[in-house]
Amino acid sequence: MSILDVTIGFVTMMGLLMIGFPVAVVMVAMGVLGGMILYGPVLLKSMGPVLWGVSNENVLTAIPLFILLGELLLRSGLADRMYGALALWLGRLPGGLLHTNIGACSLFAATSGSSVATAATVGTVALPALGERGYDPARSLGTLAAGGTLGILIPPSVNLLIYGSLASVSVGQLFVAGIIPGILLTLTFMGFVVLESLWRRSRGLPDASKLEEKLPLKDRLRALVHLVPAAVVFLIVMGSIYMGIATPTESAALAVLVALLFVWREGRLSFAFLDVCFRQTAKTTGMILLIIAAAFTLNVTLALGGITGVISNWVAGLGLAPTGLLFALVVFYLILGMFMDVLSMQVLTIPIVVPIVVAAGIDPIWFGIFVVLMSELGMITPPVGMNLYVVQGVRTDGGPFSDVIRGAIPYAVIMLLFTILLILVPQIVMWLPQSLMG
Amino acid sequence: MDRIATWISRLFGAALLFLSGFVALETVLRKVFNTSLQGADELGGYVLAFGASAAFVVALIDRAHVRIDVLHQRFPVKVRAWIDFAAVLSLGILGVFFLYIGWFVIIDTISYKSTAATPWRTPLIYPQAAWYAGLAFFAAVSLWLSGRALRLVLAGRIDQVAKEFSPKTAEEELAEELDHLSAR
Repeated sequence: MSILDVTIGFVTMMGLLMIGFPVAVVMVAMGVLGGMILYGPVLLKSMGPVLWGVSNENVLTAIPLFILLGELLLRSGLADRMYGALALWLGRLPGGLLHTNIGACSLFAATSGSSVATAATVGTVALPALGERGYDPARSLGTLAAGGTLGILIPPSVNLLIYGSLASVSVGQLFVAGIIPGILLTLTFMGFVVLESLWRRSRGLPDASKLEEKLPLKDRLRALVHLVPAAVVFLIVMGSIYMGIATPTESAALAVLVALLFVWREGRLSFAFLDVCFRQTAKTTGMILLIIAAAFTLNVTLALGGITGVISNWVAGLGLAPTGLLFALVVFYLILGMFMDVLSMQVLTIPIVVPIVVAAGIDPIWFGIFVVLMSELGMITPPVGMNLYVVQGVRTDGGPFSDVIRGAIPYAVIMLLFTILLILVPQIVMWLPQSLMG
Repeated sequence: MDRIATWISRLFGAALLFLSGFVALETVLRKVFNTSLQGADELGGYVLAFGASAAFVVALIDRAHVRIDVLHQRFPVKVRAWIDFAAVLSLGILGVFFLYIGWFVIIDTISYKSTAATPWRTPLIYPQAAWYAGLAFFAAVSLWLSGRALRLVLAGRIDQVAKEFSPKTAEEELAEELDHLSAR
C-alpha cells in the first residue's frame, strides 16, 4: 500500500461522486473494493457488527432528537416573533435591521441545525421588511446568507455531533467548545455591519430610507417574552451538559419535551403540525444516518488496511509545522467547500484528516470547531453554496444572483480571518471546555 | 409511496417522543431522587436502530439521499436519466449488501442467544430483527423504485425520471420550505 494506491482510490471515488452516485453508496463501494483487494471476503464479516454498532449507538440517538427539536421550534412560528422582538432592540444600531438578521439567525441556530430552514424562515420574515425600508439588497442578502451558517457552529449542532462520532471525541465538550467561537463570530459579523454603516454614512449614504422608530422601554421589555423559548431551550441543553447532569442525548430529550410544551402553549400542537415535523425529522435522519453508516463501513477498510497510517506518514514526511499543516487544510477545505455540500465534505474528510492532525499534536476538539467553521464557509462560497441559493430563492424583488454573492463575500473573508485567528490563538476554542474538565 | 413515508415518519416521531419522555423521567429520577429506571440508553439505541433503518426509506422516497450534482446538472438530459436510474439501483444494491453483512450479526445473535450486557438483559434478537426488517424494507423499496426508473427511461419519459429520481435542487427544497411557511 503506497500513497499512489491511495491517490488512485481517492480519484476513483471523487469521479463516482461527481457523476452523481449517492455519496453513501460510493463510500461503501470503495470500502468493500479496497477491503477485498487487501484482505479478501473476511473483511466483509467484520462490517456487519460495525453496521449494527452504528445503528445502535446511543450518542447518535441525539441526532434525530435535535433535528426534531429544531423542527418543533421552527415550524411553530415561535421563531418568527423572535425577529420582531430582536428588531426592537437591535434595529437602532448603525446598520439597523441587518443586525436583526444576524441576531435572529444565531438565536435560531441555538435551537435548530438546519441552515436551509433557518435561512428560509428568517429570510421570509426579513426580506419584505428590509425591502420596504430601502436597505441595499446585497447587504440584506449577505447578512442572511452568512447568518444562516451560524446554525452549525452554535450548539446544539448536528454537525458537531457527526464530527464527534466520526472522530470519537466527546460531543459534550465539542458543544461547550462551540459556544465562544459562535458568539464571537456573531459579534464580528455585527461589528462589520456597524463599520460598513459608519463608512457609508461618512460618504452620505444612509442604511435605509426609513429607520426603525424608538419604542418606549416598556414595550421593548414586553417583547422580550418572544425570546424566552429559544433561551430556555438553549439553557436546558447547554446547562445540563455543562453542569454534567445529562449527556447530549439526554439533554436533547429534555429539550424536546420543553419545546412541545411551548408549542402547545402557542396553540399549535396538532396532528397536522406533528406530521410535518415527523416527516422532516425522518427524512433528515435517514439521510444523515445512511451516510454515517457508510462512513463507518469505509472506516473498517481504512483502519484495518492501514490507509490512514499511510496518509499520515506521507503528510508527516512533508515536514510541515502544525500551523503550516492547518493553513494547507484551510486551502483544502476552501476548495472542497466550493463543490461539495457540508455533510459529504465532513464524512469524507474527518476519518482521514483527524488522525493526521492529531499526530501533528493538534487537539481534536479544537479541530472539530475548525472543520465546522470551514463547512460554514463552504455554505456561502459559490458555485455550490447552499445558503446563497436559499436567500436568492426567498427574495421577491427578482434581482440578480450577483447581489447575493457580492453581499456574502465580506462575510466569507471574515470567516477566513476568524479561522486564522483561531489557529493563532487556539485558546479561544479551548478555554471553556478545559475549564469544564477542571 | 408518499403514504408509506408518512406512516414510517409517524411511527418514528412517536417513538422519539416516547423516548424523550422516558429519558427525561429517567434523568430527573436519577438526579433528584437518586434512583434509576435504567435502560434509557439502551432504549435510545434500539429506537435509533429501527428508526434509522426505516428512515432510510423516507429519505429515499423524498429523494434526500445526498448526491453531488455539480456535474450532474451539466450532462445531457438522457445521460442524466440513466445516471438517475443507476443511482437508485445502486441504493438497492447497497440495501442488499447491508442485508448480507447484517446477516452475520443475526446468525451470531441466534446461535449464541445473545442478550444485551445491561440490567434489562434484552434478548438482542428483538431489536435486531426490527433493525433487519427496516433494512430489508429499504432494499425492497429501492429495488422496486429502480424498476420503475428503468421502465421510465426505456419508455423515453425522461422528464418524469428527472421529476421522480433526480437529486433535489436547492430551489425545490426551498419551495417546500416556503410551502410549509405559507401553510401556517
